[in-house]
Amino acid sequence: MSSRDALRITGGSVHDPANGVDGEVRDVCIEDGRIVERLPQGAPTLDANGMVVMPGGVDIHSHFASSSCNHARRLIPDEHAANPALAPELLDGETPARSGTGGTVPSTFTTGYRYAGLGYTTAFDAAVAPLTARHSHAELDDTPCVDGGIFVLMGNDEYLLRQIEAGERDRARDYAAWLLQSTGGYAVKIVNPGGVEAWKGGQRNVTGLDDAIGGRKVTPRSILETLADAANALRLPHPVHIHANNLGVAGNAATTLASMEALAGRRAHFTHLQFHCYGGGNGQPWSSAASKVIEYVNAHPEVSTDVGQVMFGPAMTITADAPVEYLLHKSSGRRWTNIDIELETGCGIVPLTYKDKAAVSALQWAIGLELFLLSQDPWRVVLSTDHPNGGSFLSYPALIQLLMDRSVRDERLKLANPRLLAGSALADGLAREYSLNEIAIITRAGPARLLGLTRKGHLGPGADADVTIYSRETDLAKMFATPRYVLKQGALIVEEGQLRRALRGRRLRVAPGYDPAVLPGLKRHFDAFSSVCFANYPVQNLPGDPVPVG
Amino acid sequence: MTASRAKVEPVTCLGCGCVCDDVNVQVSDGRIVAVTPECPVARTWFGDGSVPERVLRDGAAAELSDALTEAAALLTHSAGRVLVYLAPELSTQAQRTALALADLLRARVDSATSEPAAAGLLAAQRRGRATATLGEIRNRADVLLFWGVDPTTRYPRYLSRYALDPEGSHVPGGRRGRKVISVHVGEARGPAGAELEVTLDPADEIGALSVMRATVLGNALDPLPPALQGAARAAGELLSARYAVLVHEAEPSRLTPDPFRAEGLIALVQALNGPTRAALSSLRAGGNRSGAESVLTWQTGYPLAVDFAAGFPRYTPSTRGLASAGAGVTAVLIAGNTAGLGADASATLGRVPTVVIGPRASEAPFTARVAIDTGVAGIHEAGIAYRMDEMPLPLRPPLSGRRSAAGTLEALLTVVHQRLRERST
Ligand code: SF4
Ligand SMILES: [Zn+2]
Repeated sequence: MSSRDALRITGGSVHDPANGVDGEVRDVCIEDGRIVERLPQGAPTLDANGMVVMPGGVDIHSHFASSSCNHARRLIPDEHAANPALAPELLDGETPARSGTGGTVPSTFTTGYRYAGLGYTTAFDAAVAPLTARHSHAELDDTPCVDGGIFVLMGNDEYLLRQIEAGERDRARDYAAWLLQSTGGYAVKIVNPGGVEAWKGGQRNVTGLDDAIGGRKVTPRSILETLADAANALRLPHPVHIHANNLGVAGNAATTLASMEALAGRRAHFTHLQFHCYGGGNGQPWSSAASKVIEYVNAHPEVSTDVGQVMFGPAMTITADAPVEYLLHKSSGRRWTNIDIELETGCGIVPLTYKDKAAVSALQWAIGLELFLLSQDPWRVVLSTDHPNGGSFLSYPALIQLLMDRSVRDERLKLANPRLLAGSALADGLAREYSLNEIAIITRAGPARLLGLTRKGHLGPGADADVTIYSRETDLAKMFATPRYVLKQGALIVEEGQLRRALRGRRLRVAPGYDPAVLPGLKRHFDAFSSVCFANYPVQNLPGDPVPVG
Repeated sequence: MTASRAKVEPVTCLGCGCVCDDVNVQVSDGRIVAVTPECPVARTWFGDGSVPERVLRDGAAAELSDALTEAAALLTHSAGRVLVYLAPELSTQAQRTALALADLLRARVDSATSEPAAAGLLAAQRRGRATATLGEIRNRADVLLFWGVDPTTRYPRYLSRYALDPEGSHVPGGRRGRKVISVHVGEARGPAGAELEVTLDPADEIGALSVMRATVLGNALDPLPPALQGAARAAGELLSARYAVLVHEAEPSRLTPDPFRAEGLIALVQALNGPTRAALSSLRAGGNRSGAESVLTWQTGYPLAVDFAAGFPRYTPSTRGLASAGAGVTAVLIAGNTAGLGADASATLGRVPTVVIGPRASEAPFTARVAIDTGVAGIHEAGIAYRMDEMPLPLRPPLSGRRSAAGTLEALLTVVHQRLRERST
C-alpha cells in the first residue's frame, strides 16, 4: 500500500481529544496521507475491532539528533555493545533498513525505528547550537519514520546578549528570526539563561534572575523577557522553550517560580519541570516543591510545561547547561565531556544511573509523578523524560502505566528510598489515575497543540494520517510498548508489531521574516569573532517547506 | 573569445583540519590558478584542480556501468568478508553512502584516522574530555600550552586564524593578550617565541603530566626532581589562566608518542576546570577525516573499527585499519583517496581484490580490480565536511563537472542491493 491509497480503519475505539472524541467506536478514513471525512464504499479497510486508535505520538522535548548526542554516543561503547539492533525486515521492494545500536543514546536509524515502534511519529530535538544545525539536519536525514525538527539555543548567545545590553530588543527579535531561518529551526530555546556564558567566562554560573552576567548589564531576567517577547512577536507556532536557571539544585523551585512570574501574561513553555521543583537548600535537606510549582501552572493558562520524568535505570545527561554537568561529574565521578561552543552556548555530558535506593533519585521520581497527578489541565503538562536525561523514550510505556494504574505506582513507591519523601504528595497518597483520553492528550494532542502543529496530534479531516493502534492489554506498559499498527502519512509502517516500512521523515521548521537592516551589523560581528564566514553560516538546501508562522 | 577567469569565494579548504572557509580561489579555463591567503598546504591540496577521470578494470579502461557491475559482483560475492575503508577527501554525504554499503554487505569498516588518532579517541571514551570550538579558543584563550607540537607545518593557519594572533572577544590584545607555553618532548618541539619553554625527555613525559595534574588538584609534590620542575612551573602558569588551552597533535605521524599521552592530557585539562576554565584542542588532519568518525558514530554508535559481520555493528577497536584486511577479508572497497596509504597497506591491497571509488582512484599504488575516479570533496564536490573541532561546514567547490563520489557510491549501492535480492530469491 502506498501513501496515495485510501484506507478505512474500522471498529476501533477512537481517542481524538482535540476533536472531542473520547473512545467512541468510529471509522477513521485516510486518503493521500491525510485524514478525510469519508471514503467511498468499498475502500480497503483495516480491522481495528476492539482496539484503541489514537493519533501518532508527538515528542515535544527529546535529545536524539544533535552533535551533543553524537558526543554522548561516543562515550558509551559498552551500552551499544550490550544492545545491538539488527536491521528490521521490511517489506519487499523497500529500501533496505539499517542496523544499529541501542542503549540510552541509540544510533540514528535505530532511534527512528524505535520511535515508530512506540507509535511516536513526530519528535523535536530540544537543544541545538546554531553552529551545529547542519549536523542535526544530517542526523535527521538518517532518522527515519519521524517528522523532526530542532529547537535553537539562544539564551547565552553573544550577539543577543550585546543587543540586550544595548537596549536593542527589536534587533534581538530580528536576530532570533534570522537564526531560526538560517538554521532551519522550529523554536527558540533558552538553557540556563546567562549561566552557560558565566561558566565559559569563569564566573562558573548564575544563581538568580538578577545576577549580572560577566559584569555586564545583562541578567537572566532580561534574556527571558527578550526572547519570550521575540517568539511571541514573531508569532512562532511554539512559544519560547525554557530550561530555567539552577537546574538540579536543592531549593531551585524559588527560581522556577520567579522565572514564571517574570514572564507572567506571556506565553512560555517551561521544560523538564521536574528538574526545577526542588525545595530545601541552604542547609535544609532536599524536598519536593512540586505542589507549589504546579499550583502556579494550574492557575496560569499562558504557561505550559513538560515533566522530564526520571525513570529508575540508566540515563545519559546531555545538556547545554554545561556548569551543571561539571558538578554532576564531580559528584558522580563518571565520565564527563564538555564542549564550549563559540559565541553561542556550551555542552556537557555525563552518563548517570537513577537508583530507587538513592534518596535524591527517589525524590526526583516522586516529584515528576506529583506534577502529573496534581496538574489540572493535561493540555499544558506534556509527557516527557527529557530523553535520555531522565530516562530513555523507551520508558514512556512504563511511565504511562504509572500514571494509569495506582496499584503499580504504589508498589513501585514502596521500593523507593523514603528518606527525602517527607512532605511529598505522592508519599501521602495520590489516588488519581489517568484515563486513556488523558494519555492521548499528554502524549499527542497536547504537545501538538503547544507546538502549533495544526496537522498533528488529531484525527480530524486534513490532519496528517499518523495513527497508532493499540490492542487492549491488562498490562498497560506492554500495550503502549507494542502498538499493533502504526501509520505514517497514511502508510502502514508497523504491522502486527513489526516495522515494515521506514519512510523518510519530514522536516518541521519555520522561516519567520526579519528586518534585513540587521544583516550588516551581524556580518561585522561574525567577521570580528566567529571562526565561520557569515556566508557559510546559514544551512543550505533545507528539506521541505517551512511551517507557516503567524 | 577570452579565457574565462572567475574568482570563487569563500571556498572551504580541506587541506588540513583547520578547514578554513575563507579561502579565495581563482579559476581560469577550468584550472585553479591562485589560492589566497597564502598557505603552502592549501596550495598543494588545491593544485590546479585537475584530477584524472578514468574508469579502470584490472588496470584497463572500462565503461562505468560495467565497472559498477563488476564491483557489485565482487562485493556481493564476498559479502560478510568485505572491508570498507573510508579514505580522505569524501564529503559526509559520500561517507554515509559508503556506510550503507558496509551495512548491507556485512563488512568491516574503518577510516583513515583510526590508526593515528585511536589513542586519543579511545582515551576520550574512557574519560570524556573538555574541549572547545576553534572560535572559542580565539575568543577566550589567554594561556596556550603546546604539547610537543608546532602547528605551523601541518596546520599552517591554526595560529594566525584561530589560536594565537587574532583579537578575541575576551582577548582584545590578540597575541599580546596571550601567554604561550612551549613544551618540547624530545625531538617533538613546541613553537618558538614562547613565554615559557619546558624541555622533557620522552621518558619523563607521563610523569610530567602527572605532576602537572597533581599541582592543578592542589597536591603539590615537593621536592621534585629537576627534570620535572619545569612541568610544575607550567602547571602554575595554567592555573593563572582565565581560559587555558592545551594543544596537541592528535594524528601523530613520524614520532610515536607515549600511548598514555592523550589520556594524560585529557585528565589534566579536565582537572584544570576545577580552579579555572580549560580546553584541549586536538589537531586533526584534513580531507574530512573527522567527518568519517562523526558519521560512523551516528550510524553505528562507534567512531572507528566497526564490524557488521553479525548483522549489526560490533566494535573491534583492537583490530584497526587496513591491517585487518589480512585474515578473512576477501574483498575491499576503498571510498576516497588512496594517496596517503603506506607501503604496507598498498602491498596488502595488491593481494586482495579491491574496488576504489574516489579522487585519483586510477592512480592507486596497486592494481585495483575496479577503479573509478571521482572529483574531490571541496574542489569538485559539494556537501558538508567537518573541521578538527567537529564543526560541520559547507563545501563550496570552485570547479564542477567531475563524476561525484557520493553519486557513484549511491549507484553502486543500488546495484549491490539488486544483486543481494536476486541471490536471496
Ligand atoms: S590552514 Fe589548512 S585548511 Fe586552512 S588554508 Fe591552510 S591547508 Fe587549508
Ligand atoms: Zn532537554
